[in-house]
Amino acid sequence: MTDSVVTHTGARVRAETGPPRTWSPGGVAGAFVLGAWAGLFWFLWFSGREAFYLSTRTDWVVPVAAVLLTAATIGRLASARVVTPKPLAARELWIMGLMVVPVVLVLFAPVTTLGAFSADKRAGFSGTGFATSSTDIGSGELTLVDVASAETSPEGERALAKRAGETVRFVGFVSVRDDTPADEFLLARYVVSCCVADATIAEVRVVNVTPGQFANEDWVEVTGTIYPIGREVIVDASSIAEVTRPDHPYLTP
Amino acid sequence: MAQIADPRRIVGRPRPADRRTAIAVGATLVAVAVVVSVGDPGRFAWVRTFFVIFGSLLIQALPFVMLGALAAALVEVFVPIGTFEKLGSLPRPLQLPAAALAGIAFPICECGSVPVARRLMQRGLMPSAAVTFMLAAPVLNPVVIASTFVAFRGRTTLWTMVGGRFLLGMVVAIAVGWVIGNRSKDELLKPNPEEAHEHLLELGRPEARWRRFFVHLGNDFLFMGRFLLLGATIAAAIQTFLPTSVLTGLAERPVVSVLAMMGLAAALSLCSESDAFVAASFVQFGPSAMLGFLVFGPMVDLKLVALYAGTFRRGFTRTVVLVAAAATLVGALWVGVALG
Repeated sequence: MTDSVVTHTGARVRAETGPPRTWSPGGVAGAFVLGAWAGLFWFLWFSGREAFYLSTRTDWVVPVAAVLLTAATIGRLASARVVTPKPLAARELWIMGLMVVPVVLVLFAPVTTLGAFSADKRAGFSGTGFATSSTDIGSGELTLVDVASAETSPEGERALAKRAGETVRFVGFVSVRDDTPADEFLLARYVVSCCVADATIAEVRVVNVTPGQFANEDWVEVTGTIYPIGREVIVDASSIAEVTRPDHPYLTP
Repeated sequence: MAQIADPRRIVGRPRPADRRTAIAVGATLVAVAVVVSVGDPGRFAWVRTFFVIFGSLLIQALPFVMLGALAAALVEVFVPIGTFEKLGSLPRPLQLPAAALAGIAFPICECGSVPVARRLMQRGLMPSAAVTFMLAAPVLNPVVIASTFVAFRGRTTLWTMVGGRFLLGMVVAIAVGWVIGNRSKDELLKPNPEEAHEHLLELGRPEARWRRFFVHLGNDFLFMGRFLLLGATIAAAIQTFLPTSVLTGLAERPVVSVLAMMGLAAALSLCSESDAFVAASFVQFGPSAMLGFLVFGPMVDLKLVALYAGTFRRGFTRTVVLVAAAATLVGALWVGVALG
């Protein structure tokens, strides 16, 4: 990058002989904020932690942001030496510090996902307007997304009903509500199309459970026979095993 | 001759940050890191939920803010102002639609469009066309359309949202410009408008373009990012604590649902490059209400009202709010009726 400028007459002149430059506090602080966010996106990309925040269809933004923010950081730092630096207002510095707080939270807070707390606050999958295919529901291995998608249309409901009595295997977390019988729980999984903020919930009712064996938010693999009854889907469990949380805890429609 | 100090300059002068301020900010960040890693606030379910939603909103939306800042800096530094002036040579009936469509070619955020509109008026562009451009650019620009596409991808309402936002945004912007009519720039602009979207440019002499580009890029990102931070905090709090049944109750009433989402958009003050992700998260609401959010928010919100007040004369903000609200409401409801 040559430090030349274009004058109003169009002539290019070099600005190297100008007055001495000093660091601008605002420029340096701004570069720090940009760098902090760039670092976070690199961290998310290399650690795979983006799966805890984004769906697989939008996680491409992470490497793009990492590259752009890194370039912006370098450029802002390079342009932070100015001739007449303005003092940075204290209020502005506090705001910049505030903008780094989310970076600190994501980097230092334990890795976590949406759990049973949100289960009754999130919308059911049926209200989300996602396109569904009754063909997908009617054939192949059934997934929780298929089950949830079946609720979005009468065709889907009918396609799922035809699969009553088949053996299924679902992985999700245990959700127990106040009115849940002792020998049952809800097996839940969040479905995320963009980021966790748009998460909707897919649930099946698991019966034939040993009372007290599993607690809220335990991740389990349930194998059993499926019985869709209207909009409620019941799985009569033949085996339930505790599993570790999947690397991709959210499903993508 | 004794100089009389401008009282605004004394009272309003911000306290400069010193070494103690920098240490205090740094210490606060370290304290936050220690508290969240040692204190394990995630043991509280609501804190955990809030963190996850808040983090996901920022991680999803911030790259689009960055893209918006990049586009705005390119326009600011590399596109000559004469490009905008060509609008003025068009026949008058075509100026408003042309000004609205110019937003496609000039991807600037709603904050950046205010000073651009002021500059266009000062350069002789018909004020109503400049206002139309100001309102349309943040809705119609390619970055916003792309982010809307990504946010609604996979849903049956995808093209209603993308196309509806584009068309309704254009119609509303033209409607406001039409109401502005033949008012002159002196009737609209404050005599010495302060630059509300302050860039802290310390470039008092001709500077290399790359320097100006990165200064604009960094400052635009920081300026828009803070409002996104505020919006993400409010949105995450709503989603953490508000049961969907409350929102569903609002969402089931046609006019109320559109008004509620328009009010929410104004309160959240999100950047138009990232607001589609927040809108998409309110899954209880139908396409009409979503469109109300996506069209009204980039034209009227809390931060924009402050920018308008600093740039335009009294009465302008009221006109924009009323006309934009009425046109958005009618347009969004019409889309709802058309979709059945």
